[in-house]
Amino acid sequence: MQAAECTWTHFEMLRPLCFKSPSTTPLFFNFSKHFQKGFSDSSFFRSNRRISNYPSFMATISSLSTHKDPVSTHDATPNITHQPVQVAKRLEKFKTTIFTQMSMLAIKHGAINLGQGFPNFDGPDFVKEAAIQAIKDGKNQYARGYGVPDFNNAIAARFKKDTGLVIDPEKEVTVTSGCTEAIAATMLGLINPGDEVILFAPFYDSYEATLSMAGAKVKCITLRPPDFAVPIDELKSTISKNTRAILINTPHNPTGKMFTREELNTIASLCIENDVLVFTDEVYDKLAFEMDHISMASLPGMYERTVTMNSLGKTFSLTGWKIGWAIAPPHLTWGVRQAHSFLTFATSTPMQYAATVALQAPDSYFAELKRDYMAKKAILVQGLKDVGFKVFPSSGTYFVVVDHTPFGLENDIAFCEYLIKEVGVVAIPTSVFYLNPDDGKNLVRFTFCKDEETLRSAVERMKEKLKKK
Amino acid sequence: MEGKLSSVAKNFTPSPIQELSQLAQRCNAINLAEGFPDFPAPPCIKEAAVSAINNDFNQYRHVQGICDQLALKMKKTHGLDVNPLTDIAICCGQSEAFAAAIFSIINQGDEVLLFDPCYETYEGCITLAGGIPVYVALEPPQWTLDPEKLMRSFTSRTKAIVLNSPHNPTGKVFSRDELEIIAEGCRRWDCVAITDEVYEYITYDNQKHETIAKLPGMQERTIITSSLSKTFSVTGWRIGWAIAPASAASTIQNIHIRITDSAPAPFQEAALTALRSPIEYFETLRGVYELKRDFCMKLLGSVGFRIQFKPQGSLFLFAELPKDCLLSDVEYVEELIQQAGVVVVPGRGFFHGNESCKYQKRYIRVAFCKSEATLNAAAQKFGELINAKACPKIVY
Repeated sequence: MQAAECTWTHFEMLRPLCFKSPSTTPLFFNFSKHFQKGFSDSSFFRSNRRISNYPSFMATISSLSTHKDPVSTHDATPNITHQPVQVAKRLEKFKTTIFTQMSMLAIKHGAINLGQGFPNFDGPDFVKEAAIQAIKDGKNQYARGYGVPDFNNAIAARFKKDTGLVIDPEKEVTVTSGCTEAIAATMLGLINPGDEVILFAPFYDSYEATLSMAGAKVKCITLRPPDFAVPIDELKSTISKNTRAILINTPHNPTGKMFTREELNTIASLCIENDVLVFTDEVYDKLAFEMDHISMASLPGMYERTVTMNSLGKTFSLTGWKIGWAIAPPHLTWGVRQAHSFLTFATSTPMQYAATVALQAPDSYFAELKRDYMAKKAILVQGLKDVGFKVFPSSGTYFVVVDHTPFGLENDIAFCEYLIKEVGVVAIPTSVFYLNPDDGKNLVRFTFCKDEETLRSAVERMKEKLKKK
Repeated sequence: MEGKLSSVAKNFTPSPIQELSQLAQRCNAINLAEGFPDFPAPPCIKEAAVSAINNDFNQYRHVQGICDQLALKMKKTHGLDVNPLTDIAICCGQSEAFAAAIFSIINQGDEVLLFDPCYETYEGCITLAGGIPVYVALEPPQWTLDPEKLMRSFTSRTKAIVLNSPHNPTGKVFSRDELEIIAEGCRRWDCVAITDEVYEYITYDNQKHETIAKLPGMQERTIITSSLSKTFSVTGWRIGWAIAPASAASTIQNIHIRITDSAPAPFQEAALTALRSPIEYFETLRGVYELKRDFCMKLLGSVGFRIQFKPQGSLFLFAELPKDCLLSDVEYVEELIQQAGVVVVPGRGFFHGNESCKYQKRYIRVAFCKSEATLNAAAQKFGELINAKACPKIVY
């Protein structure tokens, strides 16, 4: 008989950290302050109804349809009485409306999509087959909350290979539904309301959202072109004994920047000095082209205060499987596991078995991955330069940001709309990744996680139709 | 670093339940504890998942077809009009749907009513969101709802009530009258009902599951959460949903996207196949589980249990220890592991509240969502004990 993996072992979990949100209104339609959504924001309903979180906003192109605003069709219920709720400032900043408008335009104009942050090719057969085998073998029930043991072991082995650090898979690894959930669980599990957290802009938009769910006070440091280097003086003046944590995404979405050893060392010493935690998002670590990827956790004195997060999706082109993980010392893992157990409880079982196989892929897999992406990058980067963009160097990820101002449009959103309508190519306006949108208005992001033909076609279209002013 | 941990973290101590779990593993016990099946999921649904993986449904997605199917089901089963384009959020399991629902409406200090006993995870979510769980005890042995007790529990700070029906751990299915009482409370106090209906298709003796959302004045103030997991024996696939008025559904969707961004893509595809299952599937499901329920009742009867409340739904039997048994729930479970090699769950973990009622330590929960082989093996072990007449602590 199978040994007990009892779902009731979570009884021993104690109350996790509480977090505050200020609103006290009892009405149903007054949601907790961070998530108020106005009925005036009806474009949300009119278009694809999916708030376009950054990497996935194009995902629903195939399921888009035009439809009317919702009309109550209830028979017996009385009128819903409510005041139209003002859209919270925070939600405005997320620019979700922009994304949905972009999606609609893209379809309407048959644009080539270099905006969406996921591949238009699929993952390797050996990983897919492992998932299929797991389903057939009956691995379809709840996995252990913090991960299937074999998978935790594989994560630890991979981490050792990549960083040299030896960790305990049972006590220091937590499996989550994608790196997105690892980030949410880390924030909710380790950040108290009112804690200061430092973010580098531009940033993946879920960071800000989950930080606001955790009630954190966000302090933002902007990385600027051309090299998006960390402004050390600004960092020194921002970090203090009041700082609870700093979030680092390297290789960095959207700029492709990779934090250098020097930068990481400086950040590390400031963190040690001020007793600050570090949360790292390293999902693009295998897409490191111009330099070696460095994990903050591997720096002296840093493992004990770092949560290292990663996922399967980007490395294995299986972004929809939602397999991620967080590696941290036991006292931090505890907080992550607490929150995780209340967010999703357990992660997809068959995919964990497949991920175990994936992480054990031979070096040749990763070498080939890099080669493929570098070839794609060359096509795009050269193409963008030929077209006339100012292209900033991107050391890692499958993104590159460019300055669009040579083409005379007033800001990034206007440029992207123009690009879709007149040229037939999609890029992402980067202003959505900044606390202050103005910081991003000259920049747009292209992705090269597409097959070569798509990349070439997009470049051709831009060469043909995009003219400098 | 120690100084940065929360005070809650510092109070962590190992629990007797954790220790029992480890004991069960060491003894390789027959598992009637965990609430998931040890038999295979339906082949056609697994095939649909395999096919999805092969056909490259492996990137982030939102499968609108699931919402369409769910809207059809809501109309057919409950007569509810649900807009598939605006009223449904697909999540990573009912777990995430519930968490997102709580985060969408609970503010610091909001009270949330829960029926006691109940599934442990609700409280954790509520507390994580800054809410205050308030328990309303169902009264043994029939787990009846006392209307006055319920009404007294509502205050001006009550924001929501959680309703899990069919109910884990008792197997109770809330009756129409009981739903009316709860609805009255919600309407009077302007509260939201958040339901957990994961066992919606697992009811017995011709009992039907009804959602509170269909009662007058309730659809506009109910968030329904459910999933594929128990209906289709795929608890590890993490496909669930929330159905609610558009504003709530969109907020839940927003939150879901920030927590996980997408439910596993190939399983969303497979969900389409699952949700289109013919009515015979659900009838067979019910029938098979009813037989298992009856088997388990007999099993416990054979060792002296007097089952006063027959489960009307869910996958669990919540049984009070025999009168002559002087052991606590934890002690009984320990004996059962060691003497019979069978593991069940001590009931105390499901009880909360300030009532220091003795009955809270007198229940065990048995999961009967197990294969015939497992149930027969358990029966055999019990049989041996009865025949040997050497186990006074288990056989009464």
